[in-house]
Amino acid sequence: MPVVVLGMSHHSSPVTVRERFAFSEARIPSALQTIRESGIADEAVILSTCNRVEIYAATSLELRKAFAELQEFLVRVHDYRDPLTDEIYKLSEPESIEHLFKVASGLDSMVLGETEILGQLKKAYDLALQYNHTGSRLNKAFQRAFNVAKHIRTETNIQRGSVSVASVAVELAEKIFSSLGERQVMVIGAGDTSEKAARALLSRGAHSVIVSNRSHDRAVALAAELGGRAVHFEEWATEFANIDIVISSTSAPHYVLDRAKLEPLMKLRRNRPLLLIDIAVPRDIEPEVNFLENVYLYNVDDLQAIADDYLRQRKDEIARCNEIIRERAKNLMDARAHPSALPGSDPAFSHK
Amino acid sequence: VSWLTDRQWFSIAVILYGLSATYSIFLLRKQFREDNRINYFLLLVAFGFHTIAMFVRGLSLNRCPINNLYEATTFVAWTMVAAYLAMGLWSRLRFLGAFASPLLFAIGVFALLTPKDVGLVKPEFTGGGLTLHVALFALAYGAFGLSSVAGLMYLTQERDLKMHKLRAVLSFMPPIQRLELVTGRLLLSGFALLSAALIASALFLHQQDGVLFSGDFKILWSIFVWALYLGLIIMRWKFWQGGRRFAWGTVCAFAFVLLTFWGSSLMSPLHRP
Repeated sequence: MPVVVLGMSHHSSPVTVRERFAFSEARIPSALQTIRESGIADEAVILSTCNRVEIYAATSLELRKAFAELQEFLVRVHDYRDPLTDEIYKLSEPESIEHLFKVASGLDSMVLGETEILGQLKKAYDLALQYNHTGSRLNKAFQRAFNVAKHIRTETNIQRGSVSVASVAVELAEKIFSSLGERQVMVIGAGDTSEKAARALLSRGAHSVIVSNRSHDRAVALAAELGGRAVHFEEWATEFANIDIVISSTSAPHYVLDRAKLEPLMKLRRNRPLLLIDIAVPRDIEPEVNFLENVYLYNVDDLQAIADDYLRQRKDEIARCNEIIRERAKNLMDARAHPSALPGSDPAFSHK
Repeated sequence: VSWLTDRQWFSIAVILYGLSATYSIFLLRKQFREDNRINYFLLLVAFGFHTIAMFVRGLSLNRCPINNLYEATTFVAWTMVAAYLAMGLWSRLRFLGAFASPLLFAIGVFALLTPKDVGLVKPEFTGGGLTLHVALFALAYGAFGLSSVAGLMYLTQERDLKMHKLRAVLSFMPPIQRLELVTGRLLLSGFALLSAALIASALFLHQQDGVLFSGDFKILWSIFVWALYLGLIIMRWKFWQGGRRFAWGTVCAFAFVLLTFWGSSLMSPLHRP
């Protein structure tokens, strides 16, 4: 009884299609029940995230029939009436097992190597397990997938580094300051990326945030969202003595902060390190300030270059990860084919 | 441990310091992204041989082996390794080893090349006062040495951050603020030990006939070094000149100590090896 996968992801279909096939968490147990009761599969797990909808099933049906019935189920349950061509992929062993391992390891994700998917996969599996829709096949396959994901995370660089501008900003802060716990963040200009960077810093323990924007109402709103406080745009410099990290993204056509303005402010700060993140285009901060001692200025290109380098490194690791996955998938299937021949094999995986 | 002489034991330790220094070049090429445990292990083993060397020498002389330039130099290196191994237990500070090992190797080679290793010469002063005097100075210079190593690490990481080098974020090195803290604390420890060494020397070592004590060049040199480090402390904590300038200060001050230590000893009738 092989494990098969039928589904769609950001690789195969646009969001306009994926969203129509998405399962809410509440609907999944009954959907799994239907799959099993209709005899399509003996065991099943449904993974439904913003980037993928997949059914993992252990079926005793002939493969072509199993895939046809699973697709028919998927279309019927979502009342989808448009034609489907390449949007849905159908994988049988060993590709299905390798695909599961790749998904768990973040290798199939939109952001290569991201870890959120592992949590989502665990949740999907737990839900199926809770309602007794899994058996020895899927239990073993999923447990092994979690194990492979952990192995890949620790043994390769696939999850190393940040691949977004906001998270690179956080990493830089962590390379400058001993602890983010006492750091005050100032957001000048309430743009989307600066908000993300501020949120990322707060989530990593930054002490507090001050928001300053030409539109004070917008500053107040963002400050309320971030749990900080707003200051009037004309007064942001007065707060500077206590600030450690500045994220600037105004739409000003000129420099908001230049060397002449910053130099005396640094003395007030007793030369504590200052991280300046300039995400604005045109730039808000004069590049010359980077020559001041204890000042570290990064503009959006610098951050993007670091994020791109990280991504390049992650891509370089793909071949290594695939090799690990192929080997682990083969081990799993060998153990199933010869339950007593291989050490650590699970008799539950033997042919029924 | 008697089948090798103390110098041979020490030579093995120096070879291991050299290996560690070579491995440090590999770590540098890997942008400090490799695990540093190998380097820590090499320095741990080297420390073992170094300790045996000092133990064998102490046993053969029947006193604490810190009475001439060779012994004092090896003791300074020994205190540096001991302090590093203690700090290296904290994984984030283990990279100090990559910066310390070339310095330890250089000090070790310097000690082995000194032709004046005359361990059996009777010192001008004897007794516990002398041992305390040399031990405190050696500990102080060991702390200053490690402080300069941490300063060097700060300068490397700070430069990478300023120049937007990818390795600034990729490396396993600690944040520069923590490096500055470690540099400062080691410097303060060294300064306290140096002050204690100068006071203990004045209290416990008494002038012998025919030896010009007050105007001795080494004493004046030591007082100058003390003033130099005091200047750094005032600069750091009174005028808030932290960061790069402070790190450069610690590196340059220790470079001065290393470069003039031998010469100042030669010019001192009291300390001439």
